[in-house]
Amino acid sequence: MTESKIVDLLAVFPDLEPAANAIEHLRSIGIHDECMNIISGIPVTEAMLGRPHQWTNIPRIAMGGAILGFGAGFFLAYITPYIYPYPIQVSTQSFIPGPPTVVVLFELTMLGMLLSTFLGVFLDSFFPNYRPMKYVPEVSDGKIAILVECSHMEEKKVTDALTKMGAESVKPAEAQHL
Amino acid sequence: MAYEKKQTEHAHADHQGHTAEHFREKHLMLDPLPRGQMNDMVMESMLEKPTWKYWAVIGILSFIVVYFLFYKWGVLIAKGQGVAGVMRPDYWGIFLVNTVFWIGISHAGTFISAILRVFRAEFRRPFTRAAELMTTFGLVQAGFSIFMHMGRVWLAYWLMPYPNQRMLWPNLHSPLTWDLLAITTYLLSSTMYLFLPLIPDVAMARDRSTGWRKTFYKTLALGFRGTEGEWTHLRNAMNIFAFAIIPVMFSVHTIVSWDFAAATRPGWSSTIFGPYFIVGALHSGMGAAVVVIAVIRATMKHMKYFIRSEHFDAIGKLMLIISMAWAYFFFNDYMVQWYGGDKWTQQLLHFHEAGPMGWMWFTMLICNIVVPWAILWNPKWRATPWLVGTVGIIINVGMWFERYIIIPISVTINRMPFTWRLYKPGIEIPMGIGTLALFILLYMIASKLIPLIPVWEVQEGQMAHELKKFGRETVVTVSELE
Repeated sequence: MTESKIVDLLAVFPDLEPAANAIEHLRSIGIHDECMNIISGIPVTEAMLGRPHQWTNIPRIAMGGAILGFGAGFFLAYITPYIYPYPIQVSTQSFIPGPPTVVVLFELTMLGMLLSTFLGVFLDSFFPNYRPMKYVPEVSDGKIAILVECSHMEEKKVTDALTKMGAESVKPAEAQHL
Repeated sequence: MAYEKKQTEHAHADHQGHTAEHFREKHLMLDPLPRGQMNDMVMESMLEKPTWKYWAVIGILSFIVVYFLFYKWGVLIAKGQGVAGVMRPDYWGIFLVNTVFWIGISHAGTFISAILRVFRAEFRRPFTRAAELMTTFGLVQAGFSIFMHMGRVWLAYWLMPYPNQRMLWPNLHSPLTWDLLAITTYLLSSTMYLFLPLIPDVAMARDRSTGWRKTFYKTLALGFRGTEGEWTHLRNAMNIFAFAIIPVMFSVHTIVSWDFAAATRPGWSSTIFGPYFIVGALHSGMGAAVVVIAVIRATMKHMKYFIRSEHFDAIGKLMLIISMAWAYFFFNDYMVQWYGGDKWTQQLLHFHEAGPMGWMWFTMLICNIVVPWAILWNPKWRATPWLVGTVGIIINVGMWFERYIIIPISVTINRMPFTWRLYKPGIEIPMGIGTLALFILLYMIASKLIPLIPVWEVQEGQMAHELKKFGRETVVTVSELE
């Protein structure tokens, strides 16, 4: 039972290059990409670290929000005039004028899209999250941290590999309040 | 020969060293410091114990806000719009001048943060947040100004579409609701756009704080650690915002311009008002942004490292181009109205230039065209913070005058000469000063709570820049990291 226990190791690297090399090395000793997570203080792209593409739902959520916003605009501009008990027809003016409707549709579509984009960050990143998490504050000082999930049996092998690849520190990751 | 060759190599190396040093001094992006040190500098600028001068300014501004803004507003509500100078034919006075002015100021944040981000203008990096804050706080003042103009402010909710007992929905096709929708959309969008890039910086502040600040930053950081997933979501969202907020920004001031242009009044009925207002907004917005940046640089610790002459030079060039664009649109608008030959429009144009407020019309042209062109063409002057900041103030005076001329002065002359009357503002003046004080007050408080420099963006930029030699010339090159 003890042998199959999973441990998380947190290795801190001074720079991008050794971190990228370490990821490659970990892969060569049998650690899968899904068992690694990179924590950094700047947006390091997947390509820089040779990591697989990160999935994000933000564009789809934004599109969904835009459609909802458009729907809300359509309701307000096209439907509500008909809801009046006594629809107000002003002389020969069109009952639902086109150009002002475009303004309403545009503003509400954009509002829907931007609000949902913002909320999408919360949904995709599980924000807000104030539970204890595995983290090292050195990351915000420019260090790159690799969080590796491995079996208890592999712990020493992975620790040695990370140290060899230039990690400043390798220690079991403990969840802590940020 | 060998000695000569060695000497030449030495001289060459010296020259290279000198060139590199010259570039470091000039460009923030080529003068990297360790990230930890930059974090410390930004934190120190926030945590530095305020001097008595800071508290004195805060005290004065608070008094102005309480007395000039809120007390006078109470008087306005209690006594009615009669205490303001608005009466026939000038029902649109300084409250609306200030509304248009503050919406204009708010355009700077989006311009700097979104448009310059889309076009990858690297000089934007250290002051995007300072400009975004202006957008949010500027829009707050614009909102206040509209509510002041509204008079019966407690009935503001009538503008909101909600199913009420009498099934009376607001007329969504009215310009009044366009304004509500456009300003609300822009205020919410720009606040969200301010917050997203702030998350990594408040996470940094969280890691370096104790006490109530720790709780404050921890709450704002939302649990951000900087994992690959978090950065990917954040980057995607910021890209969507950068592109989508630009048409929203354009729509806001265009819709504000339609409040005037859609009327068949002399001086207002103009098809060019939309772009003319947008350029005007950018003119005043950039002017205000440069003032804020110059003040931050002069008063806050370590800011001289982050904000350098190169930034004022770059903003100065933009201000010069925008000033030229404003002159083009102004002349275009003027020319068509003048050539049109409409009797009342001719009267109005004459009134602008030779009427009792003619001094304002000429001052507007001096502030918006003559001063920027006379100063900002010179690279040395353009790179002088206090001078560019002064030009920014002058432009804002000019742009406020422009709005004053467009609104109350233009309303004076209409097609019914028996109603002509010169607008004399009353309580609007102290209340307008109150909004200015509130803007500065909010900014001063925010400067002690929010990291004004987006450190991660600066570091990202520094990673992307390097010096490269082409033949004998050393040039700055930028890599696209995204």
